[in-house]
Amino acid sequence: MSAGRETAAALRRRRRAVIRLLAWSLPEAAPAVLSGLVVARAVDDGFLRGRPVAGCAWLSLLLVAAVAGAWGARQTNRAVAGVVEPFRDELVTRVVTASLHAAAPAGAVARMTQQVETVRDAFAGLVLVSRGFVVTVLAALLGTASLAAPLLIVLAPPLLAGLGLFALALRLGVRWQREYLAAGERLADRVTAAAEAARDVAACRAAERAAGHVDEAVAAQARAERALARLAAFRSLTVVVAGWLPLIAVLAGAGPGISTGALIGVLTYLAQVLVPALDLFVATVGNAGLRFVVTLGRLLPLATGPVSRGAATAPPGPQPRLELVDVTFRYGAAARPVLRNLDLTVAAGDHLAVVGPSGAGKSTLAALLCGTLRPDRGTVRYGGVPVTDLDPATRARCRVLIPQEAYVFGGTVADNLRYLRPEAGDPQLLAAADRLGATALLTRLGGLRAELRPGDLSAGERQLLTLVRAYLAPAPVAVLDEATCHLDPAAEERVERAFAARGPLVVIAHRISSAERASRVLLLDPDGPLLGDHESLRVRSTRYREMTGYWAAGSQPAGPAGPLDGVGPAARAHLGGDPAQPVADRAR
Amino acid sequence: MTLPLLAVAAAVAAVAQLALPLAIGRAVDAVVAGGAAGPRLTWVFALVAVLMVADPMRDLLAGLAPAGRTGQLRRRLVRHTLVLGARRPDPAGDVVSRVLTGAAEAGQGGVAVVLAVVSVVPVAGAVAALAYLDPWLIAGYLAGVVAIAALLRRHVRDTSDTVVRYQRAQAEIAARLAGALAGRRTIAAAATVRAEVARCLRPLPELSAAGHGMWRVLARSAGQSALVGPLLQVSVVAVAGWLLARGRLTPGELLAAVQYGALGAGIGGLVAGFTRVARARAGARRVAEVLDRPVPRHGRRDLPPGPGVLVFRDVTVRGDGAPIIDRVSVTLPGGRPVAVVGRSGSGKSTFAGLAARLTDPDRGQVRLDGVPLPELAADVLRREVGVAFERPVLVGATVADAVALAHDRPEDATVADTVALAHDRPEDATVADTVALAHDRPEDATVADAVALAHDRPGDATVAGVLEAACASGFVSRLPQGAATALAEAPFSGGETQRLGLARAWHARRLLVLDDATSSLDTATEAEILRLLTGDVRRTHLIVAHRAGTAAQCATVVWLDRGRVRAVAPHRDLWADPAYRAVFGAVT
Repeated sequence: MSAGRETAAALRRRRRAVIRLLAWSLPEAAPAVLSGLVVARAVDDGFLRGRPVAGCAWLSLLLVAAVAGAWGARQTNRAVAGVVEPFRDELVTRVVTASLHAAAPAGAVARMTQQVETVRDAFAGLVLVSRGFVVTVLAALLGTASLAAPLLIVLAPPLLAGLGLFALALRLGVRWQREYLAAGERLADRVTAAAEAARDVAACRAAERAAGHVDEAVAAQARAERALARLAAFRSLTVVVAGWLPLIAVLAGAGPGISTGALIGVLTYLAQVLVPALDLFVATVGNAGLRFVVTLGRLLPLATGPVSRGAATAPPGPQPRLELVDVTFRYGAAARPVLRNLDLTVAAGDHLAVVGPSGAGKSTLAALLCGTLRPDRGTVRYGGVPVTDLDPATRARCRVLIPQEAYVFGGTVADNLRYLRPEAGDPQLLAAADRLGATALLTRLGGLRAELRPGDLSAGERQLLTLVRAYLAPAPVAVLDEATCHLDPAAEERVERAFAARGPLVVIAHRISSAERASRVLLLDPDGPLLGDHESLRVRSTRYREMTGYWAAGSQPAGPAGPLDGVGPAARAHLGGDPAQPVADRAR
Repeated sequence: MTLPLLAVAAAVAAVAQLALPLAIGRAVDAVVAGGAAGPRLTWVFALVAVLMVADPMRDLLAGLAPAGRTGQLRRRLVRHTLVLGARRPDPAGDVVSRVLTGAAEAGQGGVAVVLAVVSVVPVAGAVAALAYLDPWLIAGYLAGVVAIAALLRRHVRDTSDTVVRYQRAQAEIAARLAGALAGRRTIAAAATVRAEVARCLRPLPELSAAGHGMWRVLARSAGQSALVGPLLQVSVVAVAGWLLARGRLTPGELLAAVQYGALGAGIGGLVAGFTRVARARAGARRVAEVLDRPVPRHGRRDLPPGPGVLVFRDVTVRGDGAPIIDRVSVTLPGGRPVAVVGRSGSGKSTFAGLAARLTDPDRGQVRLDGVPLPELAADVLRREVGVAFERPVLVGATVADAVALAHDRPEDATVADTVALAHDRPEDATVADTVALAHDRPEDATVADAVALAHDRPGDATVAGVLEAACASGFVSRLPQGAATALAEAPFSGGETQRLGLARAWHARRLLVLDDATSSLDTATEAEILRLLTGDVRRTHLIVAHRAGTAAQCATVVWLDRGRVRAVAPHRDLWADPAYRAVFGAVT
């Protein structure tokens, strides 16, 4: 099992901490080792001979042992940190690394940290308890051997039988625990989905149907809980068999040869040392142990980083030139292609706007152009070199992508602006901010040295910061994927003009005004893409005319309240006038 | 049934556990006296046999009983939440925690009470047994308990500081990771994954330091509690030994006394038992808080034939301070598009919710074609009234499921929609008539059957119909498995989700309410949908509108102002009023 191998490897890596832990276990076991012996001596040599003082003297030895044991327990708890904490560090590092490398990280961040904590807690409990169990049992057996060695042979079979039974229970338990965890997560997911959709479900009067979806998960969870109840029953059976049966065996097997004190001593070992240790061990391994194995087993696939593709790094051609050659892309074998046989070149001096209704594939095009998505057919080339031959860092030197969701991290303003060009000096940062109209924002934030808290910024402010950052990037080509959607039209215009002056620019347009500014316009229409400029597309495409008309209306609502957002009721009337007019007809 | 059994099993186990030390003591005395345990051993054997059955039985039942009860509570909670819908004031996360933890704790109720009561038996019994063996033993026991109590007082150390520090570091890593994952496209395109990993992991040393700190605090407590067992043992053995020396106790009784001392020290278990009862009661309260909320009642009436005339008669909905809807009386014509406009906070959404019976008025009445809404049967409401939201939440396994949430008999809709696709005016009557022309018995069923013959999987066709109507078939067909794609694997944009939400409500026959349901669509798509809506005379459309262009396309406008109707008139009549124009200026 991979969780087991992983654990063994982690323990091997921390050999010194493990040895320290085991070394401190010896004083910790002192009370356990001595308890039976001391009681036996106190009875035989003290109390039974009518010398209670001698008996108490023997008992005081147990007090000394108790103090040593307490010291040992304290040290083992400290020593376990040396094993557990580094293990947690490793897990966190691996989970973070893997999820940032993954294309679509599965599982939320919260869940991942939660699982790491579960593993940490369970691992610590497991290490402490199972180590304590082994040491205590050895101590009890050692003590028994010194009092009455032949009794070992009598008590061994039921003890081993009980432990065997427990091992069997664990094998079943791993499966049940896994089902229990999975059922719990599924239930949480379904209940969350249902609760979030309660308004919608009520509006559809579909409570029964939607609840049925949750019922399955509730039933599965109840099944898993029942299975764990069976496991708990099995566990307590183990304790009775491995704990109390040896005691019967000793009582039945004890002959006249054994002294009263020795018999009481052996029974003390069994009843006072073995049974409690067994109880704790079975409970911990049966709970925390199973949780550990199962959770770690689920975490490891998440924590295993992808094999980095060893792309041969060929230098891109001299001129900044991005090409799509006969590119087709679909989101699944059965899906209709989002883009089909598309050819597109972005070269020096280019300013291209991509427009189209939502869902037409504009962001897909941006991702293909930036090499973060692979086409199903066709090639993407940078300076004549297929992007598949370039490693990510080289690609990043060719083009910079500014997506709609602005990534601003906690740190100084300068850290954020310098993200893509670490060597940029302050004057450079300020000049870029000025060019994009971000100077006022920088002043308001408190200058370049100010600490940023991403949550405190508005969406527009975040976008402006990432735009300044991208402007500074060494890559010549810039791809703005609705990167200005939270800016007002004037700020958007300033940004786009600055980028157009900076180098080749592709704008996935949010407003039609972006297309009016561009030298070329690519219309992604469900009926097929059209490339031209603003004027020619207005002539050639009904869809484009429709969009420019409406978009113009939608993009200037902040202005003085003119007649109906710029379109009079009379002009609009024809839109709703004749329902028989075929909507789908869009002759070009 | 399970609980009485549990009580019996737990009580039997507790009594057997209590009797065992005495039986062992007697057997020891027999061995010491005569050399063979003989008949005394039979008692020990019988008690262990009882434990072997009763212990696992108790644990099994203690797990089974809550599983069933919890499942029951969860099913009721989910249904109640889904029926309440938007009437439920608490956030989704609160519901989730009530269903997951609240119900689980409440489900433990019966078991917790039984186990808490039974847990008194060993502790009280052990003290009684000590008194029975010799009253002086109580003194030894008390001395031990006092020492333990003193230890435990110091034991309650403040660990919260280290825990808070640990959780803060952990949350910091999680927050950084979440931020980086949200900016994944930026990071992937810029090839800065390694720098991001390092940034996310920067708080790791702090986490590790806090973790080590936690162990140091824990170690001190562990050292103290390691003293507990030996201390008690020594104090009881010392007294018992003294009694043994005096001949007032046999060796076997000394052994029993030591075990009773340990049993009697299980006060911690007692406390834990009653804490569990308290937690179960708190859980039950949390569950009851939801279940006690009244759900809307439905009548049994059907709608008479009619165009969908909506009448508000003196309707008031009270809010926290001022009424949200204040004495509104208005009659809206059927079969026409009606816009609801007003500044934010004027009560538009509540007005729309009243019309669709998502909420009930505190005073007054809403009627649809003459029938008060509460008198309508739930399935009539589902069939006749649909609501599309600004931010619809989709529920179901697949896209098709989500869209068909309110379809009770998918076949009917299939037929109507499919045939309607071929018509310019998709009216029910037209469809039925057209098909019925070819039939001898023009009954609905016949028509439906006849058309359904042409479908392989009628359910899909329904979905296809509504998707087409809501301009959603384009992007759905580009999904990996079309409408059969799992919802979880189809990340939709805001506009796409809105279109699916509209498709989900499209089946409504009498009244379709659009609560700002097209706000995220690009203008061309929105216009297309509005054109379809406003040209459709078979039902009433109530459209909460933010754009003047939308209001202009509706037959009538209901202008709300602070919960009151300010005017009901066509848009072009109202436009002259500057206050009316300001409604749109302020919103956008």
